[in-house]
Amino acid sequence: MSVLPASPRVEPPVTPASPQQPPRHRGRSQRPSSHGLSSHGPRSHRPRWPWLLLAPGLLWLLVLYLLPLLSLVPLSLSEPVSRFGLETVFRGRLANYQEVLQAYGPILLRSFAYAALATGLGVVLAYPLAWAIRFRGGRWQPLLMGLVVLPSLTSFLVRAIAWTSLLADQGPLLQLLRSLGLIAPLEGLGVLHDGRLLNTATAVILGLTTNLLPFLVLPLVVAMQRIDPVLLEAADDLHAGALRRFTQVVWPLSRPGLAAGILLSLIPAAGDVVNPRFLGGPNNQMIANSIDNLLLVQLQAPRAAALTLVLMALISVAVLLQLRRGLEELPLP
Amino acid sequence: MTPFAHHEGRRTFLRRLAWGASGALLTPALLQACGRGPGGGGEGADKEGADKEGGELVISSFPLYIDPSRPGAPGSVERFQRDTGIRLRYGEDVNDVRQFFARIRPALAAGQTLPQDIVVLTSWMAARLIELGWLEPLPFERIPNASNLIPSLRKPSWDPEQRFSLPWQSGIAGIAYNIKATGRELRSIDDLFDPALKGRVSALLEMRDTMGLLMLADGKDVSRPGWSDAQPSFDRLERARRDGQIRRFTGNDYQTDLLAGNLAACIGWSGDVAQLALEQPDLRFVVPESGGILWADLMLMPRGARHPNAAARWMNWVYDPPQAARIAAAVQYISPVEGVRQILAKDPATAALASNPLMFPGPAEQRRLHLFGPLSEADEARWDERFARITQG
Repeated sequence: MSVLPASPRVEPPVTPASPQQPPRHRGRSQRPSSHGLSSHGPRSHRPRWPWLLLAPGLLWLLVLYLLPLLSLVPLSLSEPVSRFGLETVFRGRLANYQEVLQAYGPILLRSFAYAALATGLGVVLAYPLAWAIRFRGGRWQPLLMGLVVLPSLTSFLVRAIAWTSLLADQGPLLQLLRSLGLIAPLEGLGVLHDGRLLNTATAVILGLTTNLLPFLVLPLVVAMQRIDPVLLEAADDLHAGALRRFTQVVWPLSRPGLAAGILLSLIPAAGDVVNPRFLGGPNNQMIANSIDNLLLVQLQAPRAAALTLVLMALISVAVLLQLRRGLEELPLP
Repeated sequence: MTPFAHHEGRRTFLRRLAWGASGALLTPALLQACGRGPGGGGEGADKEGADKEGGELVISSFPLYIDPSRPGAPGSVERFQRDTGIRLRYGEDVNDVRQFFARIRPALAAGQTLPQDIVVLTSWMAARLIELGWLEPLPFERIPNASNLIPSLRKPSWDPEQRFSLPWQSGIAGIAYNIKATGRELRSIDDLFDPALKGRVSALLEMRDTMGLLMLADGKDVSRPGWSDAQPSFDRLERARRDGQIRRFTGNDYQTDLLAGNLAACIGWSGDVAQLALEQPDLRFVVPESGGILWADLMLMPRGARHPNAAARWMNWVYDPPQAARIAAAVQYISPVEGVRQILAKDPATAALASNPLMFPGPAEQRRLHLFGPLSEADEARWDERFARITQG
């Protein structure tokens, strides 16, 4: 659902200018010398007009994203005039925040825990997948990348509803687990609850993982494209085993892709509404379900706005932390 | 927003039933079609109205709440269009009354009109809409068949002069269960809290049905629901949710779970279960010992409805007993129309329905059914909040 606003962030790993690499293009590093003004440093000689290229995107974000978001601020401090009317009156009511944090704090924690678990599981699945596509895909690579994206072409809503049959108590997956005698061990591990999968935390997390997998795999593949296979051969020549080749070559060189992938998957996962609704039970609802309920059932628009802003703030903090950590790694210009 | 998986088999069944019923009912329907508008002046006015309004009608109702068409056996929507020449757009887009309210609220609060001429909603929502002044009085002078309304549903407390509402169907909230899964008959609400059924029980998101049944089990009076009276039931529900006894809170979608075997027992609605039971014979519906909740869904005209004459034609048409009998045979709820039982009894294909106490509760059964009384606006807000906190975890 957040594919649109998030997609520009796929780009950083693609921009091919790593600081250590020698300049391959006749780009800005050559321009100063051609002007013969090297004493002023490179910064002052960069033309300003490329910034204008940002204008349409910034305008888009300003009008369609930032302004609506800012309008939530006064709303979140307001009170409804009547229970069923649309009007609200601004009262500087900070108590809205206190109330939603008190009531929905545990659900916020749960949402981030589910999102983190789903992302972690996604990383574990995505690494081998991306590695295989990059180094073993050969000429099938575009097709394999297409296959990774293919599930996203189905509506995730339809997918979640279809899963309710797949994960049902008498459904194929549980039948299989039963015939393999895996019910009791999985229950012991806390994967199954009361011998079932549907309407459990596990189902929600699996659903989230499925949604975010392409967002992890694609940036990883792109990041791995930039790993020269020669490096792996060199590591092999130096008697590095598979594990060391991964930890010392693949991992550090693909981390920018991973950082981007985590950003792209953690954010939508934390705000997901569909998976908990269809695959979870009443003990597995996430924060977006609470916002939905506050707005549409309890008709408490101000509190829904407050909770939305709290969620946005927490996500922004997570993004900033991630960006700070990733800044050295992300090949930003 | 919630599209839920329709059970295809169920639709097929409904169609089969409509097919069976149509054999016996076709003749009266044709007679009705030919003899429309017997009062000359009425017909003229009607026609004129229909012309002015472009002969259109837009209805929003709950899913699977009318007899569907099948090849050779047109459903009510199709027959009405044929009989009247009015183009009817019948939407099954009310899945959850509260979410539907959230959808229509912006337009109505801003004084705009809705595309719908008729919305079918539950009684407490009808009461709210009347209170807000968002409904148009129904043109009863054009609905002579409204006199067929059964006495028990006339003049409800929230519409004491019967100006704004006409019942669509009525029904019972009680316990539905799969006898194979429970291994025993269920009789009381306590049975839903049996640890043996942990994680295989669901309750309804319709607060008045779920809370009403629980309060009846606590011996409380639901005709005047009090906040403090409700607390033990709220607490019990919250504990059951936290302990994992209750697997889900559902709208209509409990049907899918019941058929798929994900649920052993649940709080459900009589007509649904009656229909499902014909497909899955192990399903039962029971009015709990402590009593069941009787509810009604009503046809309402939103303020400024554009085609009031066509709306009146529809209401009059569905209150014609032969038409009402077909709808009743398909949906198997309590029909609000007098004479339906006799029509169903005459046809061997539907005779069994005529003696179904869930469709035609006798005096003894009716004593065990209770209407959930009104909640004040302030009370409703805290009830809604507490219930939401329980159902949302």
